[in-house]
Amino acid sequence: MKKSIYVLALSVLFFTACKTDKKQAESNSMQQSEMNMKEADGHDHGDHDHDTAMGEDSSKEDRNIDATTQKNSATSAIIDSYLQIKNALVEDSKDGAAKGGTMMLTAFADFDMSQLNESQHKEYMEILEDAKEQAEHIVKSPIDHQREHFENLSVDVNDLIALLGTDKTLYQSKCPMAGEGKGAIWLSEYKEIKNPFFGSKMISCGSVEKQIN
Amino acid sequence: MKLLKKIVPFLLVVFVGIQFIPTKRNQSTEVLESDFSKTFTVPANIQNMFEKSCYDCHSNNTNYPWYNKIQPISWLLENHIKEGKKEFNFSEFGAYSKRKQKNKLKSLASQIRDNEMPMQSYTLIHSDAKLSDSDKEQIIVWVNKLRDSL
Repeated sequence: MKKSIYVLALSVLFFTACKTDKKQAESNSMQQSEMNMKEADGHDHGDHDHDTAMGEDSSKEDRNIDATTQKNSATSAIIDSYLQIKNALVEDSKDGAAKGGTMMLTAFADFDMSQLNESQHKEYMEILEDAKEQAEHIVKSPIDHQREHFENLSVDVNDLIALLGTDKTLYQSKCPMAGEGKGAIWLSEYKEIKNPFFGSKMISCGSVEKQIN
Repeated sequence: MKLLKKIVPFLLVVFVGIQFIPTKRNQSTEVLESDFSKTFTVPANIQNMFEKSCYDCHSNNTNYPWYNKIQPISWLLENHIKEGKKEFNFSEFGAYSKRKQKNKLKSLASQIRDNEMPMQSYTLIHSDAKLSDSDKEQIIVWVNKLRDSL
């Protein structure tokens, strides 16, 4: 009896010890990503003043179906992190993409969900769950895997914009060779084609399909 | 030498000691409604390959090897299974959103194509889990077709 108590105590000790380690690691990486954010903000073309914008948006009750004209800067931090990943992949930079992945995780964590109405909430949660997973993989994967996850992430961010809108001007482009020959879309802040799926190997592959805003 | 005499018994005590620490076993007789095989119409040979090569770490039911009962191997396996299920769980596939299902199917196909899954350390011991080139081809073609239909 006594023995089993010891064993129990030991195992409890062991598992709690494990957990705190993990938590600490998590909060460390959070801090890290916040630092990254700030760093990136410094030399970013960012105009994300989203605190004020959130206030404006919460008064908007109904979802504007035509999201391409819906101005919403609440999604800016998420889109900025997406563009950071995109630009890093254009330059074949695994580390830059990983940094963007961390930025994106922070951006999603900071996103204020209270502004969403019920119908938006469900779809947002699905996008969030998927995008977070893609971002996590981008943080820790070699570049060819990063690109595979970036394909999925592009669909997620595109859907997020369709759902919530953005105040940025973006270009949706398509590369017919990506997605194992099925074609895949990406979003860019400029019109010129610079391909994130192949980088320097096929930098000009693709064409603009749609302009957002 | 003297030191060794002290260390060896100590390690022995630790080794015996850790055997008492319980591990969570990933076993269930119930096949959930959300199981992959109940969500889609899966050809028997494909489902069979999934069960042999993937289900040990990617479902709620592991077919444990005998040595699983020995620590610290149990921990190692437990960790692998935890990671595997977090990544993708056949038992809960039907509960995933369409978005997630599509992306998971895509990853499934690419992992098999690139020989990243099943893991080498796993097929080394479970030789029946190895997939031949034609097995792989069959899975990839079928999975891609399924993904397009979603």
